[in-house]
Amino acid sequence: MAWEYYLVVMLVYLGTDLLAVWGLNLEFGVAGIANLAYIVVVAAGAYAYAVVTLGPSSNLGGFQTYIGGFTLPFPLPLLVGAAAGAVVGTLIGLTGLKRLRQDYQGVAMLVVSLTVVTIVSADTGLFNGTAGLALIPNPFANLDPETARWTYVALVAVCCLIGFVVLRRFTTGPMGRTLRAMRDDDVAASASGKDIVRLRLVVQAVGGAFGGLSGALLAGFIGGWSPSAWAYIETLAFLSCIIVGGRGSDRGVSLGTLIIAVLLLQGVQFLPQIASVPGLSEDFGWIILGTATIAFIWFRPQGVLKERRPRYHAESSSKLPG
Amino acid sequence: MQLIIEAIGFGIATGAVIALGAVGFSVQFGISNILNITYGALMTLSAYIGLILINRGVNAWAALALSAVAVGVVSVIYHRILLAPLVRRGTRAIAMIIVTVSAGTILQYVIVAIAGPSSQSYGEQSGQTFHFADLTLSFGQVAIIVLTAVLMFALHLLLTRTTLGKAMRATSSNRTLARSCGIATSRISDIAWFISGCLCGAAGVALAITTVSFDFSLGALFLIPMIAAAVLGGIGQPYGAMLGGLIIGVSSEVAAAVSNPNYKDVVAFVILIIVLLVRPRGLFGAAWSSRRLMEG
Amino acid sequence: MALAATAPILEVDRLEKHYGGVRAVDGISFTVTRGAITGLIGPNGAGKSTALAMIGGFVQPSGGRVRFDGVDITGMPMHSRARLGLVRTFQMARVFASLTTLENLLVAAPHQRGERASGVLGGRRLWRGQETELIDQAQAMLQTFSMGPKANDLAGTLSGGQKRAIEIMRALMMQPKLLLLDEPMAGLSPSLSRHLEDVLLDLAEGGLSLLLVEHELETVDKLCGNVVVMAQGKVLSEGRMSELRLSREVQDAYVIG
Repeated sequence: MAWEYYLVVMLVYLGTDLLAVWGLNLEFGVAGIANLAYIVVVAAGAYAYAVVTLGPSSNLGGFQTYIGGFTLPFPLPLLVGAAAGAVVGTLIGLTGLKRLRQDYQGVAMLVVSLTVVTIVSADTGLFNGTAGLALIPNPFANLDPETARWTYVALVAVCCLIGFVVLRRFTTGPMGRTLRAMRDDDVAASASGKDIVRLRLVVQAVGGAFGGLSGALLAGFIGGWSPSAWAYIETLAFLSCIIVGGRGSDRGVSLGTLIIAVLLLQGVQFLPQIASVPGLSEDFGWIILGTATIAFIWFRPQGVLKERRPRYHAESSSKLPG
Repeated sequence: MQLIIEAIGFGIATGAVIALGAVGFSVQFGISNILNITYGALMTLSAYIGLILINRGVNAWAALALSAVAVGVVSVIYHRILLAPLVRRGTRAIAMIIVTVSAGTILQYVIVAIAGPSSQSYGEQSGQTFHFADLTLSFGQVAIIVLTAVLMFALHLLLTRTTLGKAMRATSSNRTLARSCGIATSRISDIAWFISGCLCGAAGVALAITTVSFDFSLGALFLIPMIAAAVLGGIGQPYGAMLGGLIIGVSSEVAAAVSNPNYKDVVAFVILIIVLLVRPRGLFGAAWSSRRLMEG
Repeated sequence: MALAATAPILEVDRLEKHYGGVRAVDGISFTVTRGAITGLIGPNGAGKSTALAMIGGFVQPSGGRVRFDGVDITGMPMHSRARLGLVRTFQMARVFASLTTLENLLVAAPHQRGERASGVLGGRRLWRGQETELIDQAQAMLQTFSMGPKANDLAGTLSGGQKRAIEIMRALMMQPKLLLLDEPMAGLSPSLSRHLEDVLLDLAEGGLSLLLVEHELETVDKLCGNVVVMAQGKVLSEGRMSELRLSREVQDAYVIG
């Protein structure tokens, strides 16, 4: 039943993509932080998950070297992954505190992303260098394969549910309003009494936690993680979902993630096969992503579902809209 | 010590190519206030166009010139039909970065789709080598150093001795003022993008010549050191970019020689990050130019 | 720890700012009286905007001190000054363009439970009550500025005069003790300027202190009690507008610039 397996993979990827996109949307769409190094927090979560579930290297034949090497019981490794994302996210946030023009900020973040992946690839002692980590244990390995797969889907769904509830706490209400004010004009926000530095770091910690959880779930599902999974260009994929869907809108970017996922998966199947170049569908995927991003910035920068602000009515000021 | 001298020599050769690319990048920023990340993929395009020409028997230097001009033309068109209209509409700086990164990605993977992912090579240009004291450089390396020096000098003459060059400098410095002085800033921009596009193309072929082999990631790999050089020298300042290129080239090679060669690229990355965070205007950027870099 | 009602609300003490070799502000000292409108005038390049930026916390001084309501705020970041009650507006009115008019006001309200960690994670129940009160407060303010109908419009779509009004209202939502106004009449039509003048006079009458940087000397004459004149980075003179008009020094400064 290949389609069943295919469906499981799709759902897990969709769920983990949603978590990451929600996190980046909080940072970039809502709070206006140009964190183009976001993929690093996803990687942080994945590696953290790996090194707290793999156990000591010698147990597996000693063919990969890495730091850590614990075996924490489920679901602790997921929490560790989220925490790693939060910590790394905050560290990245510290580099962005100087008030640089946004495009400079963006380039600096891309370079940070590239630097980290270069160092991790080169230093084999950290996370086994370019080869990455393999044999990451699946938490449901004791179940039969099909049940294990669907249990994982359920796990991802639960994480998304909890994640979404937490997300809404930050993107709506007074906090959501203040973050958007900071996005629109951080000087005016500061002049209105908002501590911009503190807000930015908090947002990058929370956004980082979402990314870290996403990475941890992926690592547990795939069973491996290597530098090829987090090239600095990967952040662009998440940005695509945000720009296409609707920057700053949780519904919008969720829809955007769905659209991009469908577009990538379906689109590449309908494209003609050129020669027999392996990996071609992945290349076309990037071509599609890039084109969709530019098309939306050109034709509809607010995205499919644009951000909506609450409307208040004088008579019913005691009733707050959603 | 021998190692260091060799590293410095290699560094000058690499630095020359980085300088070549950095100057083009810097000119584009100076004229249009855009950090054109597509620059990397355009260099890759140039390298592949050069490859096609060389494989058809075209002389290497003619191939370089033709590829450079081709990329120059592509650059002007790219700026005219995509970048300039977006800027005119008030597209914000971060969105422009996303656009140029996306365009670069599209171009890079179109190249992969057409030319395949495997490594390419221009092959040996000439077995001749040059010896300077303890240092041996290949023909290609020396040729590129000479070429870069010639092009930089030509650019210098253009900028300082011609009306066009002065118009470019004026437009770079203060576009509105330049326009009110009667300068056709739109046309000057086109010309500047063509010239810098040619430099981009030349850098792409130069990279292909000086590396043993290359693939579709060529431009992407060298773009960041070039941006580092441009920013280090003072973004928008062509002369700063030239010096920056040399500094980045030499320091990268020396660092690789004395410590872990895997970290060679990291030197350029770290320099860029530090410059942006500590002194965004670089070595030679005027204090006022930092207003282009700071928000608010 | 507010001082006696007669103590100045703001004391500027030998404030300086150098940029490279240029002394934009070269040691200025003056005080702002509590409950009154003080003017800060001077020709272009006198350093008024830099002085205001230093008082507001937007720019770090090279030397000197600023005391607000008895507290030395010289090193304090902008947001802390704002929370103490020192609120500034900007030469070009800055609004939060993607938020509605009403939301622009709500943002500025201090001590919002919904912004603290406990409030955010705890959920709507914890801040709903306070939010309702703030909405009522903001809507009332919109009414007094005749902008009730615009409550749900995105601030970015409004005219210059309306944006200026939003800025002032937002400042007022912060329960300020001192308002720093940087050329508030700039870009406003004469009738709107007159209206804003009346608003400022009312606010001062209500006990609010104001420091007004203005070019329009007529406005300064009408609104301000004490006026400080700056030229070339220094305080040239101080006094009532009527006296200053007659002063030779001040006239020369405006001609020479």
